[in-house]
Amino acid sequence: MSAGIEPRRFTDSPLGRRNPTVKLALLFAVSVALLFVFDPVTPAVLYLLALAAVAATARIPARILLLAHVPFVGFGLGLLTVNALSRPGTPLLEVAGLGVTAEGLTVGVSLGLRSMVIGVLSIGFIASTDGVALMTSLHQHARLGVRMTYAVLAGYRMLQEMPAEWQTIRSAHQVRAPLRSHGRPRSGVRSFGRSAFALLVVSVRRGERMAQSLESRGLGLGPRTTWRPVPLGRADWWLALGVLLVLALVFAAGEALGFREGHELLFARGAGA
Amino acid sequence: MSSRSTMTPARTRTPFTLKDLVLMVVLGVVFGFLYWALVQAWTGLSILMGPAGDLAQHFLLGGWLLVAPIAVAIIRRPFVGIIAEVLASVIEVVFLGSAVGPILFVAAALQGLGSEIPFALRRYRSFGWGVFALSGLLGAGLVFLFSAFRFGWYGQELFILRLVVQLASGVILGGLLAKVIVEALAKTGVVDNFAIGRDRIGKA
Repeated sequence: MSAGIEPRRFTDSPLGRRNPTVKLALLFAVSVALLFVFDPVTPAVLYLLALAAVAATARIPARILLLAHVPFVGFGLGLLTVNALSRPGTPLLEVAGLGVTAEGLTVGVSLGLRSMVIGVLSIGFIASTDGVALMTSLHQHARLGVRMTYAVLAGYRMLQEMPAEWQTIRSAHQVRAPLRSHGRPRSGVRSFGRSAFALLVVSVRRGERMAQSLESRGLGLGPRTTWRPVPLGRADWWLALGVLLVLALVFAAGEALGFREGHELLFARGAGA
Repeated sequence: MSSRSTMTPARTRTPFTLKDLVLMVVLGVVFGFLYWALVQAWTGLSILMGPAGDLAQHFLLGGWLLVAPIAVAIIRRPFVGIIAEVLASVIEVVFLGSAVGPILFVAAALQGLGSEIPFALRRYRSFGWGVFALSGLLGAGLVFLFSAFRFGWYGQELFILRLVVQLASGVILGGLLAKVIVEALAKTGVVDNFAIGRDRIGKA
């Protein structure tokens, strides 16, 4: 029934068989490490490595992998433009009265590439990970409480049904709405807001019923067994070790070859400031 | 201060009920879905948001804050804002597939913390317009510091403009709008079984 609200998953792949908690933690580690990078070379190298790794291990069809790039390539380009135009520094050239600076361009390219590294890894993670398996794994391996786990899973179920629910509410509202001169009901911010509020109320009510039925079955009273436990094996540790090793190598190479730069680049003002 | 033990019921000590947890998740799901529906409805918006996204995000930021003040005003317990906001980001990243990645959890926690501080200072007892406005202001302000660090806004000529737009968005969309939604929800009666309903009935 779901009208494509979820991203497509390809869980039968080498990356798909790895433990979801480990993958999530690694993605988080890479994201945090990249916060301290403001040169263009480090994220460029990492992007190529990440793209190669995801393409080789996640078995995502090339077309889907490419299409999934669209949102964050757009966002990356925005970061690039804004930084190139709005950062003080050595002027390179003038575009329509706005000066492009060398520092701005460097930082802009770096930030744009950073969003692409995280973007491509996120695609790899999401496309190779089943949502329910992730929550089960977080419960098993990351000590997420059983009630929290089930609350999120209940929300997940709700989310899957929400496009249909939304369509029902929209149709019901439109049937009763006054028609405009060309015979169609008006659709604008107000009608969107009205439907949105109806959806909120219906969902809150349904959530309360869900919670009651889970509680009446004794959820959270005692220890539970897990249906379809998620494995955590030696291959997962190898994956973690490999990713962290590559990350450390790229950073070390950056230090050795002198291309890595951190926050100090933001304040290194050029002559034309 | 001595009246605290008599004024504050024991409920602050007990763990969250499943009902409260599910409510927080539901808020995250509904607002996550609405954002998704909005983008579906205006595909142009998502394409436009690409190149302009870096600046446009400040105008819309307040919308992301909504979940925390609504949850706090309904459940009226410590940490609700933070938990609700983080749960919303989990839905966003894991089930809707946001390419921002898990760093969003950190941003969400900061937003929730900022949104919750004003309510905590009033000990989860005062829910007037001023508290909501301050909640939006702090939520937007706290996450601004983190985003500025992430994206290197320090040293940019647009720094002040970014800050002002984001704070204004926080107050209007993330504070005052939350108050409107909470009041409308309370009127429908669906939240009567939560703390907000108990307080209302107690007053009446």
